Amino acid sequence: MAVVSSPRKAVFNRLAIVGVLIATIVFLAPIYWIASTAFKPRELATTVPPTVFFTPEITPFIKLFVKRVQMTKPVDKATYDAAPWWEQRIYDGGERVLRTGGAVQLSAYPDRFMNSLIVAVISTILAVGFGTFTAYGFSRFKMAGEADLLFFILSTRMLPPIVVAIPMFLMYRAVGLNDTHVGLIILYVAFNLSFSVWLMKGFMDEIPKEYEEAALVDGYSRMQAFFKIVLPEAATGIAATAVFCFITAWNEYAFALMLTNRRAQTAPPFIPSQLGSGLPDWTTIAAGTVLFLLPVAIFTFVLRKHLLRGVTFGAIRK
Amino acid sequence: MKRKTLVALMAGAAFALGSWAAKAEDLTIFWAEWDPANYLQELVNQYAEESGDTITVQTTPWADFQTKTFAEFNAKGDAYDMVVGDSQWLGAGATQGHYVDLTDFFNKHKLNDVMAPATVKYYAEYPGGSGKYWAIPLEGDAIGWAYRKDWFEDPKEKEAFKAKYGRDLAVPQTYAELRDIAEFFYRPDEKKYGVAIYTDNSYDAMAMGVESAIFSYGGDLGDYATYKVDGIVNSKESVAGLEMYKELYKFTPPGWGKTFFIEDNQAVTENLAAMSMNFFAFFPPLVNKATNPNADVTGFFANPAGPDGKRFAALGGQGISIVAYSKKQEAAMKFLEWFIKDDTQKKWAELGGYTCSQAVLKSPEFQNATPYNKAFYDTMFMVKDFWATPEYAEILDQFNQHIYPFVVGGKGTAQEALDAVAKEWTATFTKYKRYKS
Amino acid sequence: MATAVMNRLDPRSRAAARGWSDLTIRNVFIIPTIVFLIVFNIFPLIYSLGYSFTDFSAASNEPVQFVGLQNYRDLLTDENIWSNFVITAKYVIVSVAGQMLVGFGLALLLNRSFAFKGLVTTLLLLPMMMSAAVVGLFWRLLYSPSWGPINYIFGLGDFAWLSDPDTALYAVAITDIWMWAPFVMLLSLAGLSAVPKHLYEAAAIDRAGSWYTFTRITLPLVSPLLMIALIFRTMEAFKTFDIAYIMSTQPTTELISIRLYKQAFQQWDTGKSCALAYIVLIMVLAITNMYVKYLNRAKER
Repeated sequence: MAVVSSPRKAVFNRLAIVGVLIATIVFLAPIYWIASTAFKPRELATTVPPTVFFTPEITPFIKLFVKRVQMTKPVDKATYDAAPWWEQRIYDGGERVLRTGGAVQLSAYPDRFMNSLIVAVISTILAVGFGTFTAYGFSRFKMAGEADLLFFILSTRMLPPIVVAIPMFLMYRAVGLNDTHVGLIILYVAFNLSFSVWLMKGFMDEIPKEYEEAALVDGYSRMQAFFKIVLPEAATGIAATAVFCFITAWNEYAFALMLTNRRAQTAPPFIPSQLGSGLPDWTTIAAGTVLFLLPVAIFTFVLRKHLLRGVTFGAIRK
Repeated sequence: MKRKTLVALMAGAAFALGSWAAKAEDLTIFWAEWDPANYLQELVNQYAEESGDTITVQTTPWADFQTKTFAEFNAKGDAYDMVVGDSQWLGAGATQGHYVDLTDFFNKHKLNDVMAPATVKYYAEYPGGSGKYWAIPLEGDAIGWAYRKDWFEDPKEKEAFKAKYGRDLAVPQTYAELRDIAEFFYRPDEKKYGVAIYTDNSYDAMAMGVESAIFSYGGDLGDYATYKVDGIVNSKESVAGLEMYKELYKFTPPGWGKTFFIEDNQAVTENLAAMSMNFFAFFPPLVNKATNPNADVTGFFANPAGPDGKRFAALGGQGISIVAYSKKQEAAMKFLEWFIKDDTQKKWAELGGYTCSQAVLKSPEFQNATPYNKAFYDTMFMVKDFWATPEYAEILDQFNQHIYPFVVGGKGTAQEALDAVAKEWTATFTKYKRYKS
Repeated sequence: MATAVMNRLDPRSRAAARGWSDLTIRNVFIIPTIVFLIVFNIFPLIYSLGYSFTDFSAASNEPVQFVGLQNYRDLLTDENIWSNFVITAKYVIVSVAGQMLVGFGLALLLNRSFAFKGLVTTLLLLPMMMSAAVVGLFWRLLYSPSWGPINYIFGLGDFAWLSDPDTALYAVAITDIWMWAPFVMLLSLAGLSAVPKHLYEAAAIDRAGSWYTFTRITLPLVSPLLMIALIFRTMEAFKTFDIAYIMSTQPTTELISIRLYKQAFQQWDTGKSCALAYIVLIMVLAITNMYVKYLNRAKER
């Protein structure tokens, strides 16, 4: 950094970068392996030694989107020849395409993926939104029993989710929130809200109140000052909080499995269920995993600068 | 103008509503995520064309199937109109009011004669011998074995085997023979192993493998009528069966500690094991060249006998029941009437479903349709099932708790493991007041 | 904490006359969140507290009986439950310690400027962006001696990570470390980049050794954030379910939340499982409380 002056330090610096390189390779190896599996022919998925060089295939992604079953006998030649190329790939894999009334049946993946998007995006917006307001409230105004309330908010995060699973299940059934997007959204907001309040509170505390006071003198109302002065200042913290909330909601598994069925089920419970019947199709599962990782990875990459700074400002008091 | 539009809209809505009410129901069948569920979806699509009632087969992975179903049942939910439930659930389904009583339906259609006896006994009737029926046998299934014909028929192997064991290398008729063959092919340095068995204890996989051995050795899990377990599940026959299972575990490929149908099939396709245990329903990919490079040289046989010639296999498979909380029970009943027709059963078998209809099972078309259908047919007359009491899940968990550490972890002895099972089962049955004093 | 609190506006001032009063704003901002958390977190919690004193089973239609502290007594005298707690403790210690070491170590390495730093940091975060269920599934495959690459790459032959009762828990912990060390890394990195540079410069002028600089400047300044990482990771590790459940069914990897799940959703022993859930909750609360105390002390320094 700034004080790299002696040759010893320069060497050390270089060694550290080599260390970074090695660590990155080690950490990414499993993900590289999953991603490469998504493009492998099925029979190369689980070879020992692992296959490194192969002609990439798109078949796993085709299979991810089409509903299909195993066959005991190869498909007859006429059907095979008449089929479009992508359908032939499925036949090549020893499977049969399922149709209803002549139309190819789409697998559940697109639906589940959309459900994941809807639930994760809306619940993140709500959790971060409420969290920001509440954090501002705690940060700027005195309140009786403030410390207790804040600890109470944190403690809701300590619950093993299974504690509330049974009452939650019964409650959801009773009010008809089972298998609905709203039900899942509410649940994920409840998961993330405490985290969001805590992170945002630290961040709000860092924004000098003088900014607002100046705005008030300039003729802004309190609310205007909040929206026009505080919120833009808080953008970095909001972005960091949003990334964490999104990751949690995007990947939640147990409740999505218990509380949803066909209508609102998200992708995490669906992907492992693609193990297939009889023989696992790791390539298709890998394809589903890779596609599912993309949105959250892109989201994080776009907000990466805020992520670092957001956490810094939010949690460190000077 | 505006008013007219409104009137038209309302009329349209009323029409839509009216026709919807007259039209038909949208039924949901719940099952586990596997190919037979897809076959069933294809079958019911045909029903939809004929009747107008649409049916969706909804699925969830095996590992959560039981949990999800009973969560829905216990909340008295109507998300599913019918459930294709495991045979062991009958007790809970019947006594806790989750299943609709199908006794009249059963008798009216004389399903006792139509369906194979074992399937009626285990998939439909509860309590045993009561003549009360809660499900229609839908998918028959049992434990069977796949083996590598090319390894078995290799002249060099045959010679070596004969020299070592003093008899010919052939499909095993007894567990002892199976064990010897497993030992013979167990060659870690060549990456070849003897046998692939079930060891996953998150649900019933391992229990099914173990009980197959126990039953063939003349042991039993208890007296299902009186709930007596001590002296039965820990009898010397049962202990010998469990010991044999543990013995087989020695000849499995490395890391064989959480294995179910997937791993056992992979053992065949990836040249790992000479023999592999599996439910018949998971065999289709093994005869398909695209999924199994060894398809031509894969053979199948029924579960072997014990030392006294007794021969049993663990039962898998499911019957279809109507959920008591469904609001569309009549439509569901109509569907079942269609499902039990001979024609439907034949179609079901053609699609790949394992029909329980005796007529279809006995037909040569069925028995020759795949290399393993004959073994399946033989097996269905020698099946035995696990407990089907309402507290089944608890019983199963206790069984797993003790057999797993013995088989995989090598802790304690078979006698100790089964003694502990007997003790805990007795305590559980006492808790549920199963013993008449 | 009070530094940022604003003085209440003079009620007669012009600013206060505009828009909502402070009190209204405060209430509008805070109360919905509190109400929401009460309805969706506390209400079910009270529900299950009630159940924990009964023999209620969601699976049966029999009348519910009040059994007092029986459930708690049964659980606390059950050897199996204690062994579940011991396993959980082992798991939490190994996996959280591993995450802290690896995560902090990574942050130290990353804390310098080099090309593509932003990209590398994001890539390193990928493991924690994945669904635990999928991670468990693929790591089971990675560990497999028959078709996984790990044993091949490290030349471990037939070493059966997950089938050996003694190593299975550590194998699961390694996966957890892989997945969550990046989280610790992110927080540590944030802490490191917040250390004022002039402190390092001053240390350099004093010819302080690098170990001295590290222990006297870096560590104390980063420790509050490390504590936060520690709190969150401990809480989460204590609750681990998906990964362990999917990777292994060994009795030696039966964490307390797996036992809880089996009791609640497989055996439907609702009353007892609620009691167990409460025991777990109290433990997590106690541990977190301890940490928060340390955190406050670390901040004071």
